[in-house]
Amino acid sequence: MTDTRIPAVRPRAATPPVTAPRRSARGRGARLLAALFLAPTVTGIVVFTVVPIIGSVVLSLFHWDVIDPPGFAGAANYREVFTDSTVLVSFRNTLVFMVFAVAAQLLVALSLALTLNGRMPGWLRSVFRSAFFFPLVLSAASISVVMKYLFNQDFGVVNWLIGLVGIAPVPWLTSELGAMATVIIVYVWQQFGFSFLLFVGGLNNIPREIHEAAALDGATGLRKHLALTLPLLSPTLLVASVVGIINALQVFEQPYVLTDGGPGDSTRTVVMVIYEKAFEQLRFGEASAVGVLLFVLIMAVTAVQFRLSRRFVHYQ
Amino acid sequence: MTDSHHSRRALLRYGAYGAGAAALAGTAASWDRLTGADIPGRDDGSLVVATLGSAFSPAGIRTLVAGFRALHPGIKVRVNAVQAVDWSDFFAKILTQIAAGTAPDLVYVATEGVQLFARHLGVPLDRWVRRDAAELREYFADVHPSLVESMMYEGSLYQLPIEFNAADMYLNTRVLHQAGADLPADDWTRDDFTALLRRMKKANDSHFTPYFWTNRLWGGVVPWLFANGTNLLAESRAPGGGWLWDCFYPAAQRRGRGGGFRWTTPQATNGRVEEAYDYLAGLIQEGLCTRPEGGNGQNLIGVFSTGRVGVTPAGGFWAGGLHLAGMRDDAFDVRYFPRWRTRRHQFGAAGYALLRTSKKQDAAWEFIKYSARLDTLTELFSTNQTTPARRSMLAAGRYRETGPAHWRIFYDTLDAFPDTGPVPAPPQVAEVTQVLLKHTGTALASPRSVGPALRRMQGDLEKAMERDV
Repeated sequence: MTDTRIPAVRPRAATPPVTAPRRSARGRGARLLAALFLAPTVTGIVVFTVVPIIGSVVLSLFHWDVIDPPGFAGAANYREVFTDSTVLVSFRNTLVFMVFAVAAQLLVALSLALTLNGRMPGWLRSVFRSAFFFPLVLSAASISVVMKYLFNQDFGVVNWLIGLVGIAPVPWLTSELGAMATVIIVYVWQQFGFSFLLFVGGLNNIPREIHEAAALDGATGLRKHLALTLPLLSPTLLVASVVGIINALQVFEQPYVLTDGGPGDSTRTVVMVIYEKAFEQLRFGEASAVGVLLFVLIMAVTAVQFRLSRRFVHYQ
Repeated sequence: MTDSHHSRRALLRYGAYGAGAAALAGTAASWDRLTGADIPGRDDGSLVVATLGSAFSPAGIRTLVAGFRALHPGIKVRVNAVQAVDWSDFFAKILTQIAAGTAPDLVYVATEGVQLFARHLGVPLDRWVRRDAAELREYFADVHPSLVESMMYEGSLYQLPIEFNAADMYLNTRVLHQAGADLPADDWTRDDFTALLRRMKKANDSHFTPYFWTNRLWGGVVPWLFANGTNLLAESRAPGGGWLWDCFYPAAQRRGRGGGFRWTTPQATNGRVEEAYDYLAGLIQEGLCTRPEGGNGQNLIGVFSTGRVGVTPAGGFWAGGLHLAGMRDDAFDVRYFPRWRTRRHQFGAAGYALLRTSKKQDAAWEFIKYSARLDTLTELFSTNQTTPARRSMLAAGRYRETGPAHWRIFYDTLDAFPDTGPVPAPPQVAEVTQVLLKHTGTALASPRSVGPALRRMQGDLEKAMERDV
């Protein structure tokens, strides 16, 4: 049997008496002010994040169809989702989407940020910055509706354009590979603006002298970026990738509008399954169980990222 | 025993925190669940009617409410026009309202949700229909019994149908002329249909696709299954319903009627189902037909009206849509769905369902009756965005401006082919639809994928139908 007692490191008598600093009226006032400033945010987080998370965990242990009162189900919902092929496929799709979408998003954003960081008139730089950021402020659903028209195999502009150079129509939305690729393209096109802005800020924070010193040592082009820019930009890369991965794991609007998860289940994502189970099939318990699993996955992936960041992220 | 450095005072403090938390939790648990209805001003005592936002125009809704208020000044009505892209989305939003404790009294429900609502939420209208039989005789005489039967579940009537749409075939007349073809005959066959698509394809460029269809429950694969004398799920009739048929319909019309449809055993691997899929896969391979794409067919009006598509299945709702898109009344026409083994067509209907959570059920029944009146429907359906359930409303004047020339087909589909029935929509409709759409997408990827995809569809449908919803 394990002894759970905590060994006393030092006899209590030997501990020097610690006198708590007297709380001044000024200190109390400052703390009260801090609490007042924090209260709206904390209240928002508790009401809209903490309580729903707890609610989801509790609901995942019940059968509930909205209409009849909930009935305790124990782990039955988890057993059900672990044997549901659609759920398992949706996790696979979401992970595949995450890997390619985040990689493409970071690559595009970083390339464009490095390009704009070069010699360029200020006004042109501003135009590009605005243009790259603009899709992010649009509704993902609206963009997806428009993209659905553009990528239509028979009547879409994209196939018409590639047809001008003799390429046969591509089944963008009606083949398994094409549908996933299209969802990723649309998602990256909309989302890269955020990472792009982060990278622009990160690049501006790298002291010019370091680049000048590197240039004196003969480092130029790709070598300079790999050996100098990327390590110095690694904290920004970490933030961009963490945010990108968390967002990608929750992708919903693009596949929902563009492909409705099809063809087959090839673009069905975890959040789509949560929506379908809850609001189309009235299985709120199972939907919550999937939600809890997604929450755990996001936490695990983020934890791994932070763990890895100790080796790869360099703070100046 | 645990050795601890905590002082007695600290222990007392933690104990007090714990007691406080327990007291708070106990107090919270003892409260009644707060719902949306507890928001001050939310429940003003009105009869709340939820409609699909796009189903009626704002002017139509205003007329509907004003007319009812004039008739029943003591009943306040509030129409909640829920914006949704399709029926499935609409039902999801209604269920959200129910979960939030703000359930409407009446919900506009289409065939896709009739049995789902009847089983879980609906109130049978039987007692009110029996009570007001004399008043309703004129309504039933004007409405085809197939529509009424599609609103029954296990012997009871849950809705009075006020609109429907059967899947007939729309043809672009300019595309027909380009192909040197005439409007097909009334009794055209599947082979005539295929030959027409080939002629159209030959007469147009590579950006033209003769036949367009949307992958959905209504108007997707199902009309082809019906035409080939089969269905996705084995179809039968529930017993009962005699109380209604005997009271309102003559012997000829009530023959074979029952207490509503039952869709039970999945039959996706049935030879005729596979044959229908093989046929569509062949059309796709030949470039005569678009690949199935999900959605509500919003882009279809554009491609049809500009002549990039020649033929598509649609109902009376499209006459108004094409008119709004700028098509002249003679720029398109409509024919019955082509014959295969049978001439059975599919339709979907809609009407108001009364929710059992409603505390104003008598007032709600008055609204249901009011909504099915001839004058009400004439006001409401003035723009040909649907086919009215009342036969008397389909007259030449209604279609003079919008077309099509053969508008009679919209209602004659029910009269000419009495076995015409609703799309298969059991209470498990959400899962059935999802399974149908997802496997249809993969089945039609190539002719070789039809068999394997239908076997997977069969397995998934069996699982869906086993589930007690």
